[in-house]
Amino acid sequence: MSTTQAPERRGALRGIGSARTSTPQNLMVFVLSMALFGLANILLEIIPDVTIGPVDLSVAYFVFVPLTLAALLNPFWAALGAPLGEIVFTDLLMGDFSGLSELEGFIQMFLAIYVAGSVVRNPRSRPQIWLGALLIVGIDKFLSAVVDLAKVWVGVEDAEYVQGLPQSILLLEGVGFGIDLVISGILFGALPAMWLIPALHGRIEPLLGMRPRVPGEPRPGTVPWAGWFVVVAVLASLLSFVFAFLEAWDVSIGSVEADFRGQYGDTFLWVSVGALVVVLALAAILFSVWRRRRADR
Amino acid sequence: MSLRTQHDVLSVEWIKLELIRTAYSTRGGLFAAMDPRAVIGWYLLMAVAPWLTHNLTTLAALFVLGAVAVALARVGPLVLGLFVIGLGFELIYLALAATLFGGDLTTVVALLEVTAKLGVLSLASLAAFVSLDPEKLSDALLALRFPPAVAFAVSYGYRMMPILVEEFATVVEGYRLRQAPPAGRGLLGWRALVHWVLITIRAFYPIFLNTAKSVRTTVEALEARGFTFATIDPRGRAIRIGSLRFGPRDAAVLAVTALAVACCYLVGATWPVYRG
Repeated sequence: MSTTQAPERRGALRGIGSARTSTPQNLMVFVLSMALFGLANILLEIIPDVTIGPVDLSVAYFVFVPLTLAALLNPFWAALGAPLGEIVFTDLLMGDFSGLSELEGFIQMFLAIYVAGSVVRNPRSRPQIWLGALLIVGIDKFLSAVVDLAKVWVGVEDAEYVQGLPQSILLLEGVGFGIDLVISGILFGALPAMWLIPALHGRIEPLLGMRPRVPGEPRPGTVPWAGWFVVVAVLASLLSFVFAFLEAWDVSIGSVEADFRGQYGDTFLWVSVGALVVVLALAAILFSVWRRRRADR
Repeated sequence: MSLRTQHDVLSVEWIKLELIRTAYSTRGGLFAAMDPRAVIGWYLLMAVAPWLTHNLTTLAALFVLGAVAVALARVGPLVLGLFVIGLGFELIYLALAATLFGGDLTTVVALLEVTAKLGVLSLASLAAFVSLDPEKLSDALLALRFPPAVAFAVSYGYRMMPILVEEFATVVEGYRLRQAPPAGRGLLGWRALVHWVLITIRAFYPIFLNTAKSVRTTVEALEARGFTFATIDPRGRAIRIGSLRFGPRDAAVLAVTALAVACCYLVGATWPVYRG
């Protein structure tokens, strides 16, 4: 129906080497990754999840979509686009937006896709594709499992009355990790990618005005200093932990608040409501001042 | 008969139309007429409020407030249905998890609190983001100094998604027409499931190529209009966000919401219920 019918355009292929990629080509990879991963997530949103007891047997995401783009095109921009597509297409549009944890998920997914895309040096090598698919799910799910465990650990330490929770969470996270690795990583990751990446290699790049990758050539968009990349990756994952803990933080705030309530009675609540009102009023005043200044200009 | 009707209601076509209606916010509603920056501010207000308390009464009041906002925003049945189903499954899961692992009712209440907070957050984002059409949302993001690529991504995503879904459905139907269905359903319909999964995965091959073409067209059109250079010169941004107006209506909605949130805390302070 609305499939593109235009004849293939011819033009100089401008290459995909790191120094030579132009901004429009990066934008193309970014938008393509966003649209395709968003579409894949929409499909998953419509499919109901199968849950057996506490174990979730659902497909977390179609890993082969971002892996294909990261393996064939610039992995940095593909990795940047895919999680944004998930947020924009499904989370915002479906009303699933969960604030700070979206940032946490964005950073984890970005790291996972970028590392996996950098690992695939030869888009026609099956072992490398397998490794890439398992790395995406492994890194993403491992990071979020660690965050979840740590969150519960901190929460449980503060709130001792939650019984029977630590062991169950540990078991569930372990089982969930294994199932995700098998379903999302192999069934919907490595196996489709093994077929799709060689099938698209040499066909999709000319459509974007790029030269197909030659096996073994340096990665487009490779980070020049590997050491710096490790530092940045560690910082980014720490940052995602911070965002995750900002959410879990309220457990400790709550216990402090309860203490304050005990000590100072209901005055504390009034103080917090008052603080809220003052902050809002300040924000409104600042905003109107800024508007007036802008109007004067 | 009833099965047939349900099948029609849950068709891909209906979902597509519903998504288009959602994306373009044609239902109208309170927030659709507001300044998008005010709507984002409203969302932040509602999103922060539940995390500052452990009082279950306050949370319940905030939940009601969120539900009222959703009603005022005229959220469509598909998105609302997905939310309700998700919440229901979450509750069932909580009860199961607690009974299976020997926790008692306090475990459920502890987890219920987090679920209620996330529920308030979801209701707020339903009301806010469903009411914003793509242009307004991307202008608001630009006004709040997000990177231009993100603002563009939002606007492009909202516009393209119904088209992409339609294209995907067309390709899947083409594959289905060209193949024989599986001989039998198999145990629990596993043959049909495998057939369907294979078609879905195969359909991605033409979709990759089609989307690559259309993305190239889009990006070239953008560049021809100076997308990258407009992000370098601040005057481009000023022109784009020049149409945003923060009116008395926006201020009124924000003030009423702040008052309502304060009331929720007041109600919680009057009749406090804590877990444990």
